[in-house]
Amino acid sequence: MTTAVPTADERIAPVGVLRRLLVRPELGAVVGAIAVFTFFASLSPVFRSVEGIANWLDPASTLGVMAVAVALLMIGGEFDLSAGVLTGTSGLTLAMLSAVYGWNIWSAMLVGLVLALAIGLFNGMMVIRTKLPSFIVTLGTMLMLMGINLGVTKAVTGSVQIGGIADAPGYDLARRMFAQTIPFLGVEFRVAIFWWLGVTAIATWVLLRTKAGNWIFASGGNAPAARSVGVPVARTKIALFMTTAFAAWLVGSILALRLTSVQANTGINQEFIYIIAAVIGGCLLTGGYGSAIGAAIGALIFGMADKGIIFAGWDSDWFKFFLGVMLVLATLTNHMVRRFAEEKRK
Amino acid sequence: MTSPLLAMSGIVKLFPGVRALDGVDLDVRAGEVHCLLGQNGAGKSTLIKVLSGAHQPDAGSIRWDGDDVRLPTPIAAMRLGIASIYQELDLVDGLSVAENVFLGHEHARYGVVRRGDLHAAATKLLHRLGHGEIPARHEVGRLPTAGKQIVSIARALSHDTRLIVMDEPSATLAHDEVANLFRVIRELTASGVAVVYISHRLEEIREIGDRVTVLKDGRTVATGLDAKTTPTPQIVSLMTGRSIEYVFPPRPDPTAGRRAQAPALVLRVDGLARRGEFEDVSFTVHAGEIVGLAGLVGSGRSEILETVYGARKPHAGRVLFNQEPLRPGSVTAAVAAGIGLAPEERKSQALFLQQSIAHNVTAAALPSYSRFGWLDRVRELADAGRQTRALDLRPADPRRGIRTLSGGNQQKAVVARWLLKDCKLLLLDEPTRGVDIGARAELYGLIRRLADSGVGVLLVSSEVPEVLGLADRVLVLREGRVVHRADARDLAEHDVLDLVMEGTHAI
Repeated sequence: MTTAVPTADERIAPVGVLRRLLVRPELGAVVGAIAVFTFFASLSPVFRSVEGIANWLDPASTLGVMAVAVALLMIGGEFDLSAGVLTGTSGLTLAMLSAVYGWNIWSAMLVGLVLALAIGLFNGMMVIRTKLPSFIVTLGTMLMLMGINLGVTKAVTGSVQIGGIADAPGYDLARRMFAQTIPFLGVEFRVAIFWWLGVTAIATWVLLRTKAGNWIFASGGNAPAARSVGVPVARTKIALFMTTAFAAWLVGSILALRLTSVQANTGINQEFIYIIAAVIGGCLLTGGYGSAIGAAIGALIFGMADKGIIFAGWDSDWFKFFLGVMLVLATLTNHMVRRFAEEKRK
Repeated sequence: MTSPLLAMSGIVKLFPGVRALDGVDLDVRAGEVHCLLGQNGAGKSTLIKVLSGAHQPDAGSIRWDGDDVRLPTPIAAMRLGIASIYQELDLVDGLSVAENVFLGHEHARYGVVRRGDLHAAATKLLHRLGHGEIPARHEVGRLPTAGKQIVSIARALSHDTRLIVMDEPSATLAHDEVANLFRVIRELTASGVAVVYISHRLEEIREIGDRVTVLKDGRTVATGLDAKTTPTPQIVSLMTGRSIEYVFPPRPDPTAGRRAQAPALVLRVDGLARRGEFEDVSFTVHAGEIVGLAGLVGSGRSEILETVYGARKPHAGRVLFNQEPLRPGSVTAAVAAGIGLAPEERKSQALFLQQSIAHNVTAAALPSYSRFGWLDRVRELADAGRQTRALDLRPADPRRGIRTLSGGNQQKAVVARWLLKDCKLLLLDEPTRGVDIGARAELYGLIRRLADSGVGVLLVSSEVPEVLGLADRVLVLREGRVVHRADARDLAEHDVLDLVMEGTHAI
């Protein structure tokens, strides 16, 4: 892509670069993000101010961590509908052990992590062993976790929320790591934004630069072919379910530490938002194709629309309508550009 | 003479009801192109699956480089240095060329793939194959078929492969691409790699092959023949004359009365063509007549059938049904006019596998059971039952799930569906595919009875004896053209085989 190497085929090189940019899975999301930003920025000066940016990056960040993990799983050819409720389960575990039983925050978080990974392992093993669609298996897990979240919370505390995390030992350090705000250009940015960027960077690197990344694309794109050349498809998929569970634990902990209390219904209805962000970012429902950066941008669009509607002084009831339009437009753009690029080479 | 690289002997493979391989011997030397010949059903595919570790043989031994080996999985075969390249190439479309070549055995340090090294190694392999122009970082999904084939071969080479099985690699390639493939094969054999080459095209075998092994009915009938000098008649005669004789129903006597009142013309196809598939195809089918289309995969036979059925739209020519032109490219029009198709992919294209026999049988005639939007289930079940009994479908209970039936009985259900619809022309694409030998004779009898009742039948089969035994008239297709047409009684099996493989035999 840099200077012309004499051995490179000069006839196809310039077309190649353009085409490679055009067929990137995240193209639709990038175009959509620019459009949404321009739209709200022209309507509201607050939206385009540094304060505004810090404001809409916040919902984008927690959603983004999940969307990136879900995107990896979808590229690997599976769904996880339990991911949203699992953020609640992780947060509730943390809150219950620290606030109700007086544990140290870090021990409580560790137990939450182990529990989340175990649920991810369960999802993965069930999908691999039973060969049932992951849509069904994780839908079951989701409903079970919803019941447990509400049932256990009410049984232990007598109410539907657990508060008082801030009084637990070790809270200050944990807060600094997961729920702090960091001043930048005179405005406080949530630390979750940096977690989001970090998770996206690592996921992109894994997808594009490591053996595991090839295995993820191969497992989702053509599992029998992958198996026949020795790719451990089962292990790859189980690891992906556990990665999603890890992300759910991270987000659940971030939200719990920030709010210092957790509702029993945390995370419900979030699972499809993650999938929507991943699809806006270029993931195919059929697997084998997609991008972590795309999913992160999908989450960014979500955050901008979420806050942008409020900044523009509109009724926030219209938010879902906006999201629906974005989903269809971004997917359509991806589809048409890819077809155009494919026809061009013939 | 050096000892062979691969020596398979006495290989037996049993499937329920069939001895797919019944004592096959094959020996392949390093650096040769060994051609495997045999008609469809002779056992070539099964043999390859045994060799690539996908099937386990029930008896026989495999010696590799002088040692007895077992090949429990495809990966085990790959580790020994045996690779297979199938027609449906198993590549991952979303990954790059280099990633596909090294998938499963990536050069990685602590899990991190060094892309520079990966691309360099892939480029080196592609250069070795004389295809340095394929960019290693290009996405495989956007390569043409010929390019994908080269990537497959490069992947085989990346495993230090010493034997590559190529299953009809030329079937999906254009002419100049085949020349290119042959150049690659010559490079491979010059470096000591053995190639097992499967093709139905004799001229290719003459050009690229060293030795030939011929299979028939799951047995090796000849091995070590010289690919260049063995005369064509000898090869053809080895492939023909199957030991299992099918019982074909007798044809109606042409002199008896039928000719007096000329049977009605059911189908007339005029100059039908689809670019890249077939050209200038014309023929007729009369009521009560079975017309057979013989040809290899890629000769355009199934495509012609599907064009008549309206599933494909012709670029030129027309289809007349009962003297009326049929709307091109409309399955609805074809079905409404009275044409039925029993497709090759029965399970995926014809049957509702989750449903009962009755629902499958009445599927095409459903509107006639509907009154004011309500289905008359009782009448539906009764009619389906009458059909299944008439066709001797077993089990006869139409409430049973279609999934539980054998291949032969499932095929009967598809035929029953069109009979219930009262169709006048039945298109049969490989009607005995997946049907065991015992049930075949029964199916042949059924098809003949249908014709006798006045239905026109257009039959496609890759098994030459089937076309000759069942059809009244035969059209021989080669590369999308009708190369010969004759009364079935005037054609011998070896003539047809000769025509479809070489197209030079003068009759």
